[in-house]
Amino acid sequence: MKKILTSFTSGFHPKGFMDAITPNKSVSPQIMSVIIFIWIIFAGTLWINNTSEVFPLPGEIWTSFKKLVNEGGLIGEMWTSMKLCLHAVIHTIIISLIICYATVIPVFRPIGFLVTKFRFLTLVGLSFVFTIMTADGYSLKVSLLTFGMTVFFVTEMLRVIEDIKKDEYSHARTLGMAEWGVVWEVVILSRLDKVFDVIRANFAIAWMMLTLVEGLSRADGGVGTMLINQNKHLNLDAVFAIQFLILFVGITMDYAFLVLKRVACPYSHLTTGGRL
Amino acid sequence: MNQSFEYKSTILKVDNVSLKLGDNQILRDCSVEIKDVFRPGHTTGQIIGFLAPSGMGKTKFFECLSGIRKPDTGTVLIGENLEPTKIGRVGVVQQSYPLFMHRTVLGNMEIAARNLPKSERDDRINDILKRFGISDRKGHYPAMLSGGQKQRAAVAQQILCSNNFLLMDEPFSGLDINMIHEVSSLIKEVAHMHELNTIIIVSHDISATAAISDTIWMMGRDRDEKGNIIPGAKIKYKYNLMEMGLAWRSDIELRSEFNDLKNEIKSKFPTL
Repeated sequence: MKKILTSFTSGFHPKGFMDAITPNKSVSPQIMSVIIFIWIIFAGTLWINNTSEVFPLPGEIWTSFKKLVNEGGLIGEMWTSMKLCLHAVIHTIIISLIICYATVIPVFRPIGFLVTKFRFLTLVGLSFVFTIMTADGYSLKVSLLTFGMTVFFVTEMLRVIEDIKKDEYSHARTLGMAEWGVVWEVVILSRLDKVFDVIRANFAIAWMMLTLVEGLSRADGGVGTMLINQNKHLNLDAVFAIQFLILFVGITMDYAFLVLKRVACPYSHLTTGGRL
Repeated sequence: MNQSFEYKSTILKVDNVSLKLGDNQILRDCSVEIKDVFRPGHTTGQIIGFLAPSGMGKTKFFECLSGIRKPDTGTVLIGENLEPTKIGRVGVVQQSYPLFMHRTVLGNMEIAARNLPKSERDDRINDILKRFGISDRKGHYPAMLSGGQKQRAAVAQQILCSNNFLLMDEPFSGLDINMIHEVSSLIKEVAHMHELNTIIIVSHDISATAAISDTIWMMGRDRDEKGNIIPGAKIKYKYNLMEMGLAWRSDIELRSEFNDLKNEIKSKFPTL
């Protein structure tokens, strides 16, 4: 215990506090903990003492949260949304990777290019088309989310593939690999960790689009539907309670993908200094 | 040191290789030959230093030698049977000593040795890792290796899949004097592992390259009567350090003939 305490306190060098307010300096983890703690106290104080009616107090949000969990079925709705989101993520990964990997063949490159340009289309504008094309509300939501994520996934993943240096292809070729072997080793296997990064970024996009998509077809429920209902009745404390839960689940899922990446690609953090 | 040697069969023959990219004539009538050198009582591979100013077409020449690029005209034949070169038969160690970062050292060796019969694959991998002093790093990823270990692993990988031929692109670039010494030792060690091992080193470091080479090639372009450059590089000068008594000597850098050679090479650079 004494050892742990000594090791923790050894990071508090007075110079470290000066570094904390000097440009381009780094600080010890201990000092960073203190900085974070100070910011939390600062934000908490501001929040508790705010007089605006727009921001409910922490106690009000907590009361509302408990009520939503006990009487509104918040956890069940969250599970519904998570299932929807994960379903769409799986579809996105499969569709996007097929499109991206296909672009190694020149004849398929225009498809990849076109998909990246679909980023500029709006989901609301496409909802009518997707409504006609899908069988029910759930399929509509999965399709819209999948479309919304795929256009960004393909854009990012194509950039990852384009950034592969010529030397990497040459290296694989000098080992006697045929061109499909080069694709497997250099484009697919060596960039698997980047796929996880793109998944993380796109899961966040899906999570952001969730409320919009769930609002288009409310029959199946979900936190998005719940949020829209609470918004309509101006229950701001309930809105904030749901938002905090969405934020918490989003961050947890992001971390889960990071853990998955480290398990599947243990080499990935070796060159990045292990930063999140 | 025993300097007696004799030439055996030709093991690399580049005959009239020319290459044009777009309107640019890169290589023109490049012809060169390497013979297996035999020294009684020694296992002696061949080390060829390949010097040229930047932008001369060394990389393209390398690509032709390794089979990555097919020349427009001419042939590149390798091995005791002088067969046309093809991808995978000539190892290429690039300047950055590349390895697959997503594979462990063992994984990198396995992918290079994948075409060997399974019965001998593990033994060859273990043997080469042991020879290169990195067998205790088998389970490490390249990012966990030191610079020297990474270089050894990259060379070992290429040796596993190539048939005695290794092209090294700027192996001394960006290295400090200690590392240059280490890489030089590694190159000599690899070359002299087998009688037919042949290493061609492309470098701008005249001193380090000449110190370990038995032959030096200098690439350059001819000029017409008016002094204008004729497009397309070729091997303009060849130095046989074995016949000059400057090969395989540990004290070479202390010898005055070696300094004379370096000065001669330096003086020829502006004319290339």
